[in-house]
Amino acid sequence: MNEENAKIDRQLLQQIVGRDRTAFASFYDRYSTVLFSVAVRILRDQKEAEDVLQDVFLQIWEKAENYKAHLGTPVNWTITLTRNKAIDRLRSSQRRHRLAEEFAGESESHSPLPQSGIIDTEKATMVRAAIKNLPTEQRQAIGLAYFGGLTQSEISESLNEPLGTIKARIRRGMLKLRELLEGAL
Amino acid sequence: MINEQLEEQASLYVLGLLPESELAEFEKQLPGHADLRELVKQLQASADWLALTTPQIVPAADLKSKILAAIDRKSGAPDKIVPLRNSAGFSVWFPWSLAACFAILAAVSFSEKNSVHQEITELHAKVSSLEKNLAALENKDRFSQMRIAVLNSLLENSPKAVAVSVWDKEKQNGVLIVENLQPLPPDKDYQLWVIDSRYANPVDAGVFQVDAAGKVRFQFKPKLPITNFEKVAVSQERKGGVPKAVGPMVLLGS
Repeated sequence: MNEENAKIDRQLLQQIVGRDRTAFASFYDRYSTVLFSVAVRILRDQKEAEDVLQDVFLQIWEKAENYKAHLGTPVNWTITLTRNKAIDRLRSSQRRHRLAEEFAGESESHSPLPQSGIIDTEKATMVRAAIKNLPTEQRQAIGLAYFGGLTQSEISESLNEPLGTIKARIRRGMLKLRELLEGAL
Repeated sequence: MINEQLEEQASLYVLGLLPESELAEFEKQLPGHADLRELVKQLQASADWLALTTPQIVPAADLKSKILAAIDRKSGAPDKIVPLRNSAGFSVWFPWSLAACFAILAAVSFSEKNSVHQEITELHAKVSSLEKNLAALENKDRFSQMRIAVLNSLLENSPKAVAVSVWDKEKQNGVLIVENLQPLPPDKDYQLWVIDSRYANPVDAGVFQVDAAGKVRFQFKPKLPITNFEKVAVSQERKGGVPKAVGPMVLLGS
């Protein structure tokens, strides 16, 4: 995710704004795997994840001009789009609590890491290590929010902790994560 | 200065956890609070990197073509296949056609089941073979549309600078891969030019910078349609580029 990649991505988005189909196809090749993986992780359903991926790429095609460079890199923008769409779908399907319980009970994943060339194994390993460094209760609270789409009170209920404790855990966890990843990516 | 409450709100905000009652107030602060904006940006990036912890799953191969077809439809490109539902009289003849198909199928399966099955198997084999041949031909044709040029340095201070450009005539775009070119000061850019004898002047193909190691992979699309991709050159120009090359030429290839 270095600056060179971000620069290429910004150029591709500019070309997509100009209705360049080839640039769009390149952008798809670069990020479809990581975005699809995020959607599958949230929805636990490949068919639904495909629908989300299609929505995300159609939005990129139609609204690439909405990307604001000062708010982050293009890949961050697309990950946020994907996560938001997957969470919306999850919330409407009433499966959230069941999936959140599955998430909370999960052990550390040892599944294959992303190896798309854009998001390489080394960086993915670094992020996993950073997350592993977080205390379990912080990791759980953040994970339930990010992948489970639960609200503050739902997380509090799910982990059987007061709301104030959950907020403080999320704050400490996010600041720690930022510190661990700072300069690394 | 960011207090604990704002840190907490920022953390909840990037995870989409900030309740409606606090959301508007928090977002109102962002434009006038540079430190808070920066914190949100960093926290958002950190949260997004959580995506990297997910196992890699490649989407179905046909999803890309479905998405490309969807954008073509949205862009108003004509469909290659006319949907049945739009054809006039569909609702009238379709049930009769379906019934006729069933009748034929039933008759065939009754009298010539084995022979039809064999024919279908042979036809499948033929179709598969034809598809392979077609794919090979398309691939061959695709490569015939490509043009590769090696660009060498014209600079005394960067004699090792080298670049390769790959040009796709059909798509009218290309990629330039550069190595060992000297990084430029912030007020300058490298500009790529394509030389086509159809035009009096080289055609602008965009500006780029190299990284600290002198490398870049630059995807380009000339401003004008290119018929004869004869030469390709890189010049050093002011930031943002110029309509006609005025700066020193640094790389040239054909």
